[in-house]
Amino acid sequence: MLSAFRSALATPDLRKKILFTLMVVAVYRIGAVIPAPGVSYPNVQACQAQVENQNIFSLLNLFSGGALLQLSIFATGIMPYITASIIVQLLTVVIPRFEELKKEGQSGQAKLTQYTRYLTIALAVLQATGVIALADRGQLFGDCDQPVFPDNTVATLAITVLTMTAGTAVMMWLGELITERGVGNGMSLLIFLNIAAQIPAEGANILSSQGGLVFFFVCILALAIIASVIFVEQGQRRIPVQYAKRMVGRRMYGGTSTYLPIKVNQAGVIPVIFASSLLYLPDLIGRLVGDPNQASGWQRFLQTYLVDQSSWVHIVSYFALIIFFTYFYITITFNVDERAEEMKKFGGFIPGIRPGRPTAEYLSFVLSRITLPGSIYLGIVAILPNFFLSLTGQGQNQNFPFGGTAVLIMVGVGLDTVKQIESQLMQRNYEGFLR
Amino acid sequence: MKLFLQILLIATSVLLIGAVLLHRGRGGGLSSLFGGGMQSSLAGSSVAEKNLDRITLGLGAVWIISVIGLGLLLKI
Repeated sequence: MLSAFRSALATPDLRKKILFTLMVVAVYRIGAVIPAPGVSYPNVQACQAQVENQNIFSLLNLFSGGALLQLSIFATGIMPYITASIIVQLLTVVIPRFEELKKEGQSGQAKLTQYTRYLTIALAVLQATGVIALADRGQLFGDCDQPVFPDNTVATLAITVLTMTAGTAVMMWLGELITERGVGNGMSLLIFLNIAAQIPAEGANILSSQGGLVFFFVCILALAIIASVIFVEQGQRRIPVQYAKRMVGRRMYGGTSTYLPIKVNQAGVIPVIFASSLLYLPDLIGRLVGDPNQASGWQRFLQTYLVDQSSWVHIVSYFALIIFFTYFYITITFNVDERAEEMKKFGGFIPGIRPGRPTAEYLSFVLSRITLPGSIYLGIVAILPNFFLSLTGQGQNQNFPFGGTAVLIMVGVGLDTVKQIESQLMQRNYEGFLR
Repeated sequence: MKLFLQILLIATSVLLIGAVLLHRGRGGGLSSLFGGGMQSSLAGSSVAEKNLDRITLGLGAVWIISVIGLGLLLKI
């Protein structure tokens, strides 16, 4: 392990890439604590201390690495990009033109990425406006009565919105720089960082409120959860595929037997993100409609059953939504007919199954069967933190260390990045991180 | 001074957004997000891209300076 680290740093081009990534990360983290213009820094700090443990924006705040509640220039963070990519990906099913582009390969994909970037900016404007409006009305921080924007004229607020939008654009650029010249996928690496940046604060929180012994057990438990998540993430079913030999001119192609890997958790964390953003809606609506002190009947109903994260209704509906979205997302992204068609085109077949439609049926059968444990696993990991609310407090539950979105993303991105470094090392025949 | 910084901030923000959008998008959206597939883009960047990088960097520097300057000026 250590020798792998050493050889990674000894390789000149890899060292350059790693150092470049670290530099970009440093720039990003510095930017994440610079308050946006017009925001009163001391007042925000005071408000933040007040509402530490109860706000609905925990998922948004999680993705922005705490920058949202600081109202920094990167407050909207990476969330618009995530939303835009999800929207574009879903639109490939709906809009024929997008589907065409997706099938076109490299150039079409580049065009889709470009659309995603435009959409990101549009969404960033919307989100920045929303965040600033909420903050200005004092709803972002619950009951905090200190003015976040001392000078809240329209012009000042508009400048703040513009700055935050530019912040999202800069973040996008930083992510792309990492993808291009550094290691790993920049966007996911930035999300990873945002989550990782909150771990020390979370740990300190538990240590100070619960004492050393509990903290120790929490650490052990967190390690166990991470290990099991890695175990499931790496799990895959390998469907054997045999390619027929064929002669083209004087050269022989094919004749190899490979496999088609189908991961247990093919969908990644997307279902969890979908489900949790859907479940945040009722709370958001409740807040926008009226103040919670004189709530009407349906508001109180929502509050007790859907918003309260320790209620059984909330947990069960969260779980069910995740399972539904896992299947939904996999049917969208993994097109069995296409795969079967592709295999047939290149002279491949699954032993014992005829190419064409039977192959597609077989693939979808295997896929839906392997997704069941995968989706249940996703659901369990996501609802795990709801059982530890007494330790972490309401609203903080998607954060480290008990699972939830944070662990899923961290493990996924971490594995991916290590694999990329590994493949770069392998080019030079060095011993890697993974065995 | 404040007005000047505000105007500078607006101008650099708009230009920065434009410059970033002019870049060729890297990374294939969500499919590669969160540990999707592995893809390697070994295509070197063109001269135009390199110059755009420099322009973006310069704009970003001015943008950060005006943000910090405004923050220091308001001191609230």
